Amino acid sequence: MAAYLIRRLVLVLVVVWGTATLAFFLLFLSGDPVNLLLPLDATPEVREQFREANGFDRPVWQQYLSYMGRAIQGDLGISLRNQTPALGLVLERMPASMVLAGAALLFAVIFGVLAGVIAAVRKGTTLEFVVLFFALLGQSLPVFWLALMLILVFGLELRWLPISGYGVGPIPGLPAFANLILPALAVGTFSMAAITRLTRGGVLRELRSDHVRTARAKGLGERAVIYKHALRNAAIPVVTVIGLQLGNLLSGAVITETIFAWPGVGRLVLTAVTQQDFPVVQAAVIVFAVLLAVINLVVDLLYGVLDPRVRYA
Amino acid sequence: MNRSWIGFLASLALVGTAWAQRPDTIVIAQGVDVTVLDPNNQLETPTANVLANIFDTLYMRMPDGSARPWLATGVRAINPTTWEMTIRQGVKFHNGEDLTAETVKWNFDRVIDPARPLRISNSWANLASVQVVNPTTLRFTTRNPFPVFVTRLTGFFILPQKYVTENGNRFLQEPVGTGPYRFVRWVRDQQFELEANPNYWGGAPKIRRVIFRPIPEASSRVAELISGGVDIITNLVPEAVNAVRASGAADVRSVPSIRNIFLILNTQNKPDSPLANPRVRLALNYAVDKRTIVKNVLGGFGQPTGCSLNSYIFGYDARSCQPYEYNPTRARQLLAEAGYPNGFTMTLGSPNGRYLNDRQVAEAVVGQLGQIGVRVELRVQEWSTYVGQVLERRIPTDAVLLGWGNNEFDADNSLYSLFFGGTVRGGPRQVAFSYIRSVPLDNALLQAQRTTDPEQRKRLYLDALRVLRAESPWIFLHQQEDLYGVARRVDWKPRPDERLFVADMALR
Repeated sequence: MAAYLIRRLVLVLVVVWGTATLAFFLLFLSGDPVNLLLPLDATPEVREQFREANGFDRPVWQQYLSYMGRAIQGDLGISLRNQTPALGLVLERMPASMVLAGAALLFAVIFGVLAGVIAAVRKGTTLEFVVLFFALLGQSLPVFWLALMLILVFGLELRWLPISGYGVGPIPGLPAFANLILPALAVGTFSMAAITRLTRGGVLRELRSDHVRTARAKGLGERAVIYKHALRNAAIPVVTVIGLQLGNLLSGAVITETIFAWPGVGRLVLTAVTQQDFPVVQAAVIVFAVLLAVINLVVDLLYGVLDPRVRYA
Repeated sequence: MNRSWIGFLASLALVGTAWAQRPDTIVIAQGVDVTVLDPNNQLETPTANVLANIFDTLYMRMPDGSARPWLATGVRAINPTTWEMTIRQGVKFHNGEDLTAETVKWNFDRVIDPARPLRISNSWANLASVQVVNPTTLRFTTRNPFPVFVTRLTGFFILPQKYVTENGNRFLQEPVGTGPYRFVRWVRDQQFELEANPNYWGGAPKIRRVIFRPIPEASSRVAELISGGVDIITNLVPEAVNAVRASGAADVRSVPSIRNIFLILNTQNKPDSPLANPRVRLALNYAVDKRTIVKNVLGGFGQPTGCSLNSYIFGYDARSCQPYEYNPTRARQLLAEAGYPNGFTMTLGSPNGRYLNDRQVAEAVVGQLGQIGVRVELRVQEWSTYVGQVLERRIPTDAVLLGWGNNEFDADNSLYSLFFGGTVRGGPRQVAFSYIRSVPLDNALLQAQRTTDPEQRKRLYLDALRVLRAESPWIFLHQQEDLYGVARRVDWKPRPDERLFVADMALR
């Protein structure tokens, strides 16, 4: 187990280094940030000075080495636009992204599992058809369309919920609950649909299995059969997907955060990419690489807890 | 969903939007957030729009484009390289610090310090030194004549010397200025809050509290405006104009902007380019129907133009800047005279989303040039690549669509920066994007930089405009309009410099 853990942690470092390197060169290929940062009428001399001051005039391998050298010491550079440390800007927005991902996941799991169980138990009925229809829809709707529709219906027509922003919640640093609902729905719908379909499949399979037949034969109530025997065994693949979805939810909320003016990392990255604020993009890529690698590791370790047959060596 | 659940949601909504539509508070949404709190170390309109409420400049831009004394009470030229400035008396910063000539000198010294360049330092490279003559008078010495000195003062903000030197880092978190509003708090990407400064030297502003919110998505901004969540939104898209008007909650307000849109013609893209012939360039100008483009592509929000200037800009001349008439018959004739009776093919580059409906404007031009037999292939490009090619004069097409704003409201920025060809012996090399070479044009532009007499400069710019009219170097299209969505309860007129001065606003 210890050897396995060490091996995996080394792998995490390799993944983070690889991602950071790839991002560095991709950003380098995307053009010169000086042209976007300075006004069009800045003279060539001024552009040159700015390039020198920020080290953009040096050969790319030199820029890469000095960047990596500083990155190892935790210095991910200064944002070209905000003129403050890039890592700080990313970490500052992490809570908002995590709250949104958490809420979306909670919504996806609760409704996804519930709908999945219902669809499995009511197999062959109209209800199953309706659930599956919405699950298919949920996985096919583009998130920006869904987000705009939610704003239109709940924000503008019915006026039940705020349209954008973080709001002021009862706990400092956390959003107002009302502000969280629409973005969480928009982000969570895809995952919810995925979980619904997966849960339905798993529960259906378990309902046909020997141990469920035995449980029924010994006269156990249907509710206990479904929740204690079928659902618990159907949970393993669902947990895997939840782990994968968490990564998606954290890093994939770029569009949702932008539409709802949510102060998260996704929106920061989108702005930084369009403005070629390299240090910020790079810092976000590194933070997400670390995060996703760790989440994957945790999910792998969780298998052992859920399924005693899994062994690490 | 049962009734109590709906009631629960509804009550949450009330909590969430409780701060909107308060009688003493205005909420303004821009597309992006403030980036830094030092107004002299940034070059971004949305940031300046917020900070200009906290800080005052020495001169103030007026709605007609002229500059009027503000924290300075006047400036006069002693000789071409010496200016004397008097400072308003009795002005205090929000922390009680006095504004003196010494404060102003310190501000300039800070900007021209070569050891620590700021983002605006480049505009002041011509300034050699500043001396305090007496507590209300300063003397500025420049390296060369500096005719745009006064107009540049409208972009120079005054910071409190003592507060900054004693708490440099705190200043970057809690800025202090002399302006009509005081800083309250800033939560990045959420909101920027200001409160009225009751002791403002220009009189206490009418609105007590201001909240600036960054809302990046254009349709979310419109939804917030219609629902009453915000009072003013910037960069309203023409597609949303009808929705805003129909809402009954808000109006559309527009103002001709300082930005002109044109097509730069690249005469050197291929050997023997037809575009090197002035008759061909004139024909292309006649072939484009500017009025129809403004009406159909920009929803009517724009004015056709015939040069790179507009009426706000010093040096503008209505006659030489008259839009070229739409006359396809004359255009075909000119093409035939130039030896292209069957037209020719060319390529046109355009950004997508940088300027108001830029790609659609380019598409309309392509269609109209097709009418006179000029077959244009459109190449739409991502902005960062595009702008790099334009700036480095590596334009891979025969023409590119570009817009030009002018922070100085002076022809120097819209003529020298665009057309100076570097033909003057001993003068600077080419700095501009134009491909035409004209000694009289370059002479006029260079001389206008080296004299501070406004009348003489006007004459020189008139000479330059006449040369340009004769050459028709580019296809001039239109002057953009800035569109705002404004709640009915707000009394405010948008400004050509895009500033959002809350002190100019009132709530009905």
